[in-house]
Amino acid sequence: MPTISIFHKDLSTLLGRPTTIPEIEQWMPLVKGEIKDVSQETGEIRVELQDTNRPDLWCVEGIARQLRSVHSGNQSPYPFFSSKGRAKRRIQVLQGMEAVRPFVAACAASGYEMTDLALEQCIQTQEKLADTFGRKRETVSIGLYRLTSIQFPVTYGLVKPQEARFTPLGFEEKMTLQEILTLHPKGIEYAGILADHDRLPLLWDADGQVLSFPPIINSRELGEVQVGDTDLLVEVTGTDLSMVMLALNIFATNLADRGATIEPLDISYPYETIYGTTIKTPLDMGHSHRISLHAVEQALGVSLEAETVGDALASYGYQVKTTRHSLSVKLPPYRHDLMHVMDVAEDVAITRGYDSFTPIMPQSFTVGGLTTQESTSDQIRDLMVGFGFQEMFSNILSSRQEWVDRMRINGTPYERLVEVENVMSLSYSCLRPSILPCLLRVEALSPRSFYPHLLFEVGEIARLDLEANVGSRTLMSVAAINAHPGANFSEIHSYLDLLMYYMAWAYELEPVSHPSFLDGRVGKIRLNGQPAGFIGEFHPEVLEAWQINMPTSGFEFQIL
Amino acid sequence: MSSSTNTESLHPLEIQVLKALGKQEGLLTDPQLVDHTGLAASQVSMAVGWLLTKDLVSLASEKTTTYVSLTEVGTQFHQQASPLEWIVQSVKSAAQDGTSLTVKNLQTSETFQPTELSRAIGLLKKEEAIQLATGGALEVTGKPSPTSDRLRTLLNRVYEGPQPITDFSPDEQGTLRQYSVKRGNTQEPFRIDDHTERGYRLTPAGHSLIPHLRDGAAEEISQLTPELLKDGSWRNRIFRKYSISLRPPRLAVGRRHPYREFLDSVKHKLTSMGFQEMRGELVETEFWDMDALYMPQFHPARAIHDVYFVKEPSHAKSIAEPFLSQVAQAHRDGGNTGSKGWNYQYDQERAKRLVLRSQGTAVSARTLATNPHVPGKFFSIARCFRYDQVDATHATDFFQVEGIVLGSDINFRTLLGLLKLFATEMAQAKEIRFFPAYFPFTEPSVELHVRHPKLGWMELGGAGLFRSEVTVPLGVSVPVIAWGLGLDRMAMIALGIQDIRDLFTSDLEAVRSMRRQQL
Repeated sequence: MPTISIFHKDLSTLLGRPTTIPEIEQWMPLVKGEIKDVSQETGEIRVELQDTNRPDLWCVEGIARQLRSVHSGNQSPYPFFSSKGRAKRRIQVLQGMEAVRPFVAACAASGYEMTDLALEQCIQTQEKLADTFGRKRETVSIGLYRLTSIQFPVTYGLVKPQEARFTPLGFEEKMTLQEILTLHPKGIEYAGILADHDRLPLLWDADGQVLSFPPIINSRELGEVQVGDTDLLVEVTGTDLSMVMLALNIFATNLADRGATIEPLDISYPYETIYGTTIKTPLDMGHSHRISLHAVEQALGVSLEAETVGDALASYGYQVKTTRHSLSVKLPPYRHDLMHVMDVAEDVAITRGYDSFTPIMPQSFTVGGLTTQESTSDQIRDLMVGFGFQEMFSNILSSRQEWVDRMRINGTPYERLVEVENVMSLSYSCLRPSILPCLLRVEALSPRSFYPHLLFEVGEIARLDLEANVGSRTLMSVAAINAHPGANFSEIHSYLDLLMYYMAWAYELEPVSHPSFLDGRVGKIRLNGQPAGFIGEFHPEVLEAWQINMPTSGFEFQIL
Repeated sequence: MSSSTNTESLHPLEIQVLKALGKQEGLLTDPQLVDHTGLAASQVSMAVGWLLTKDLVSLASEKTTTYVSLTEVGTQFHQQASPLEWIVQSVKSAAQDGTSLTVKNLQTSETFQPTELSRAIGLLKKEEAIQLATGGALEVTGKPSPTSDRLRTLLNRVYEGPQPITDFSPDEQGTLRQYSVKRGNTQEPFRIDDHTERGYRLTPAGHSLIPHLRDGAAEEISQLTPELLKDGSWRNRIFRKYSISLRPPRLAVGRRHPYREFLDSVKHKLTSMGFQEMRGELVETEFWDMDALYMPQFHPARAIHDVYFVKEPSHAKSIAEPFLSQVAQAHRDGGNTGSKGWNYQYDQERAKRLVLRSQGTAVSARTLATNPHVPGKFFSIARCFRYDQVDATHATDFFQVEGIVLGSDINFRTLLGLLKLFATEMAQAKEIRFFPAYFPFTEPSVELHVRHPKLGWMELGGAGLFRSEVTVPLGVSVPVIAWGLGLDRMAMIALGIQDIRDLFTSDLEAVRSMRRQQL
């Protein structure tokens, strides 16, 4: 969910009318946006956009475009999508790119003098599209250049890392691609994308000047757009053709909305793409979809005239042709998110306003209830509370130190845990294999809370089990401890005995050895003959490891 | 306050103090009260404290006197000898034995500290009681040391008991101060400290009680015993009345955890509305956690679910068919879902990747694949994990309240109807608003905002109709509502906590003191 920064005055200009903040706030549902913050001083508005499938809305131009079209009922024409004939300028893609970063799309934009604000917004859009939509530049990255310094045709091809040298943005001297990858901050950040390749992508012009080293960095000479520039080249490279094209379409319409004239470029490929070997970009990739009126009505729970639906969609930016029972709809070229009739139905609902639909209750009769695990847990919890135990509720992601080391079970079969691979902090790296460590953690942190301490928890644990399909099992476990100067086996045994009696469960204790407990004061709990857990007095070394100075006993067993 | 009720609730100690004061015209100081009542000083002070708060006695005088008393060191000096005396005696007896002592010889003695001895030797030399002969030997001159004598007199006097310093002459006071315990020097014979003596007298209310006071506390009992009941002797006893306004002692009791109790009430609310509980596992495959929810394997939508991956084993053995093929098909080209799909190479191996469940919706997806009863309503309160930095608003693991509603009458308006019901049942809200929202697995998607009677406008949850790309591959042909409620903010306010981590605190005292406000 991207959050962007837009400016009140800029939005008003793009909307072609003065606006107030409350008005803007009211319109936000139309773009699934939420205003997070408004600065009265600078007019800066922070907007969070929810829809990850609508990258066209992640910029002020896109928000304004969507609002303009709903307000006016129709949308601005973008004639460059239907320009005929060969383009004036061209990018030649070379053989080999298909294996590294196959696609490029570009257009020229002229006649609009870049202002401070517009440039800032362009850079923000470039970053949001490349970062969030383009998966941190892996699938899409974008470059802006000063058009007049570039000699066409431009070439997009592979070079050896030591072969090409140019001055990257942010540096004074020329560097090889190899040097950029190891020394330039952007090189270091994005080097991973090109890690598997011994030849690297480069864009250069007819004079041999380097435009950029995609997706890493632009050249300082050609790729540093400045306030006051009137002629730009926009280029998008990437690994997914439709995403590359969509990003360029968004950028082109944005610049057009600001007053630039967009001039398409021809891209010539030495290999086949879904749009052929020469693609004129920007390209409208949209198709008409036939939508059944009935499907929309059924989804929304209201009866509608085809005309009404058509008008709603047209005002939301669609191209629509209506017949009596169906509609033929086509998304505007800066959108590519129509997969199903439901997507269209939602846009109808958004245009009409969610509050215009009267809620009705589902009428069907259903029986509510709890799972056996939950209702059994609840019975046990009620009993334990009645026995005088305080219920605890713990986080279950913690460290090997807590689950294993402090419990003295290193090197035993009990030490196997469900562990996290992408550890953020060792403190949150393993799922709990039992609840007792959680209760000992409470005891360790609460020596000042008055005694006795009778604590219990009923909840889920995860045990590694290679037989299971997912390599582990989630089990429901019951654990309790008593901690006070006279706490011992006999006392905790009484509680276990009483619990089993009231639950009407047959259980036995079998003398065993367990490193967490004192020898001779520990038993394996068998429930209906099956091993289910342990009961015992905690070994002083366990208590020392937790820095607990109070005698503590406990039991834990798994149910169901 | 009537005087009779007042006397009955008096503690025996209070009665004794009142009686002592009642026999006296003027005031009594605390030492005098100790004398008159025969109680311990601490008992007197306790009783006086209670009586003061009841306004039965008042503070009549306060006099601070500076007292001199002996320290342990002083008692020792008194019994044996001060360093001054000891030096003179040691030197004398050495001379009698025909030997001599040097300063160094004296300092090896273990009776006194070397610094203490140096000071004493210096003083004795100054007062010419001893002198240094050739070779460093010490000799007694026979002249008395005035300081040593004065110290002896003072030790004897103070040994009798603490005495006001003003009882001593100015010279003596000087010596006392010189030889008293100070910061940095605790090895001194005297201690000088202030002692405040307070005088008390009866207030008019106290006076009026005197005639009503019980005689002694002999037949008074505080605790009824089985014996008293058995032999009926309780009839001859008086039960002391308690001061019932005192705070009672604390108890260690059994209690449900307040946050769990909150979730229990949510659970009961949902079952009462006809929802059946569903459960899942903590470790899930990416397939059920995300793929089945039509979140493409490549898409930025997965960035909002930054998940924890499981280390070992890293992949599930298998994904149940026909779900794997059908979901894969839906991702590739939509299959028979009426969708054009995501249009990419679906990776079946990636589908088996194990993660810690990142969203409760995974449980709903699994339920859809079990041929659930239609019409059906289901919910889960599922422990979920997110790869987030832990802070006041992010816990390592947390609970999500989610569910589904299946039925042929399900559409956008019944979705809104259900949300309206939640608003009333969960937040007692009469005013609600719906906003367009985005979830990868629903279309249309709605965000529910409600006006809580006490908390004002808040987001209560998100919901939508499951996309056909979710339901059809899992074998469900009717429309399905997917809903989720965000109740943690309400829980935190009800429990009076600011930090989300405190919902799962390991601090017993915090849990014992947490209570749930009715919102």
